[in-house]
Amino acid sequence: MTIDWLFAFVWIGGWGAFLIAAIWLVRRSERRLSVGPGDPYAPIAPGLDGSEPMAAYLDRMTGALALPAGDVAEVRAELIDHLQDSTATLEAEGFEREAAIREALGRLGPPAELGRQLRAAHQSNRRLLAGAGGGVFAAGGGFVLGYLGGAALALLLALVLAAVAAVLTLVGVRLPDIINSSSGGYAGNSLMLSVMLAVAAAFATRYAVRTSAGLSRRAPRTVAVFWAAAAVLGFGWYALFGLRGQQSWLCVAGEACIPLAAVAGAFVRIERPMPHVGRWAIVCSAISVVFLVLGLAAVSGSSVIGTGQVHEYQPADLHLDTVAPAAPAAWLPADDYVVTGQDGGQASATHIDAQVISPSSGASASLAFATVLINWRDLRFEAWHGQPTWQDSGAIGIDTHYTSAFAVQPAFLQGKSLQADFHFERMRDARSWWVVLTGVGPDGSRYRLGDGSGNWTDFYGSAWDWLTAPQ
Amino acid sequence: MPGRIRGQLLKGTTTLLVLTVLRDGELYGYEIAQRIRERSGGAFFPSEGALYPALHALEADGALEASWQESDRGPRRRYYKITKSGLGMLAEHAQEWAAFSLGMGQAVGEPNR
Repeated sequence: MTIDWLFAFVWIGGWGAFLIAAIWLVRRSERRLSVGPGDPYAPIAPGLDGSEPMAAYLDRMTGALALPAGDVAEVRAELIDHLQDSTATLEAEGFEREAAIREALGRLGPPAELGRQLRAAHQSNRRLLAGAGGGVFAAGGGFVLGYLGGAALALLLALVLAAVAAVLTLVGVRLPDIINSSSGGYAGNSLMLSVMLAVAAAFATRYAVRTSAGLSRRAPRTVAVFWAAAAVLGFGWYALFGLRGQQSWLCVAGEACIPLAAVAGAFVRIERPMPHVGRWAIVCSAISVVFLVLGLAAVSGSSVIGTGQVHEYQPADLHLDTVAPAAPAAWLPADDYVVTGQDGGQASATHIDAQVISPSSGASASLAFATVLINWRDLRFEAWHGQPTWQDSGAIGIDTHYTSAFAVQPAFLQGKSLQADFHFERMRDARSWWVVLTGVGPDGSRYRLGDGSGNWTDFYGSAWDWLTAPQ
Repeated sequence: MPGRIRGQLLKGTTTLLVLTVLRDGELYGYEIAQRIRERSGGAFFPSEGALYPALHALEADGALEASWQESDRGPRRRYYKITKSGLGMLAEHAQEWAAFSLGMGQAVGEPNR
């Protein structure tokens, strides 16, 4: 394998620069959102000397401001400074203290009107455009950063869950396997992807809200309403229609969390600065993951260079009589025949094929199957639920909890074989399946022709496909 | 044309006064109000309620720069400084004011001084 170093450098460098620029933009714009001891924008507000009318005036003015906390603090500090200067001047001119305060406040005009004018002065259209553009940019950076963080979180969760599952399995508790493709599908993968996207969505909206609020000089919760609505539309559409993969109720629930996480990211503690992740937190997390992996390896009996435990395939009772009695051998052709299922992949039909096999060579016989079974009619393939298995490869026989097939297709002659196509990937409850060829024999009864074949097919599609799919 | 200039001038009187007094150096809000009063010989007394929205709007437009500085009284004060862009804006407003003043003088029949 050759590596295009120039492309790799540009790719990594480009994304790195984008992330750094987005984080810088968020950090810079969010300074307006809070007033802290280390905040260079924070004014040192002078006291009000216990002046109730001044405090009441400023509170009413602040109520009409609807600006970020940093701006509110600056405006209040500036007006307090002004009022104290104005009052002192008036007192020097002969006003009593209370009369001087009333006069100074009167010269500023109605507090709500002053607040509205100051808000209009701060919230210019230019700043609104800057806020919208900066918000989109920061949302992109937040999404990438959140995706990376979500991947780390999903990996950590998977390791913790695997460790817990390994310990429970050791003590004899059986758990549903959501990771192994042969028994539980790839629900684990879809869930991990949902976690990553949910964290990414939350970061994206949080970055967008704080950047937009800082640049456009609007209160974060005012801005959050718009970003939350946009996130619900965007991420909601993606989670419902755009995100395609193996589905289950658990996966759909995970995907529903993506727009919810986006809304939570827009509102929860939105006035507070984003938590700072220090060097030691990263180092401790990395060490924890290493210990977790080593612990998991020790508990599950595998090593980093070994192959781990091997699960032996144990053929079980196929329970094929649940479908129909086996056809008498005298009514069947001398040659053997098999029913095989070919999984057409994640997004296409499972192809079922029944053909005569020559016992001598194992190759397909030259005689068409339907011609061999000339005395049979109503030949069809019946898809039954397969038996639940635990970390074995393939479904084994018929699940006796069911008394009928979940899908039936008439067999049609194609070349030398009988065939049918099943869309197991579009059936919620298919997953483990076993297909058997049946037909009505010369005596008018339905019989089973052969043992059939089975496999696993995960539901593949969007959450919407899952919700609207037949059972 | 005269109608347009007149409308803009009426709206921008405070802006012109603020930019004019800040041309000479950094000032804080109350000081700006006092300086306008002094320069007009007490004839012009700007509304203090309109002063701060005008200052903040000029800052948002890039005509002014604001910074918190220590004051002799103790707490920090917000000082305003005119920018290069603000000087350009001042020149435009002054030109408009001169045209308006000349036009008004001719219209009411008074000699132009």
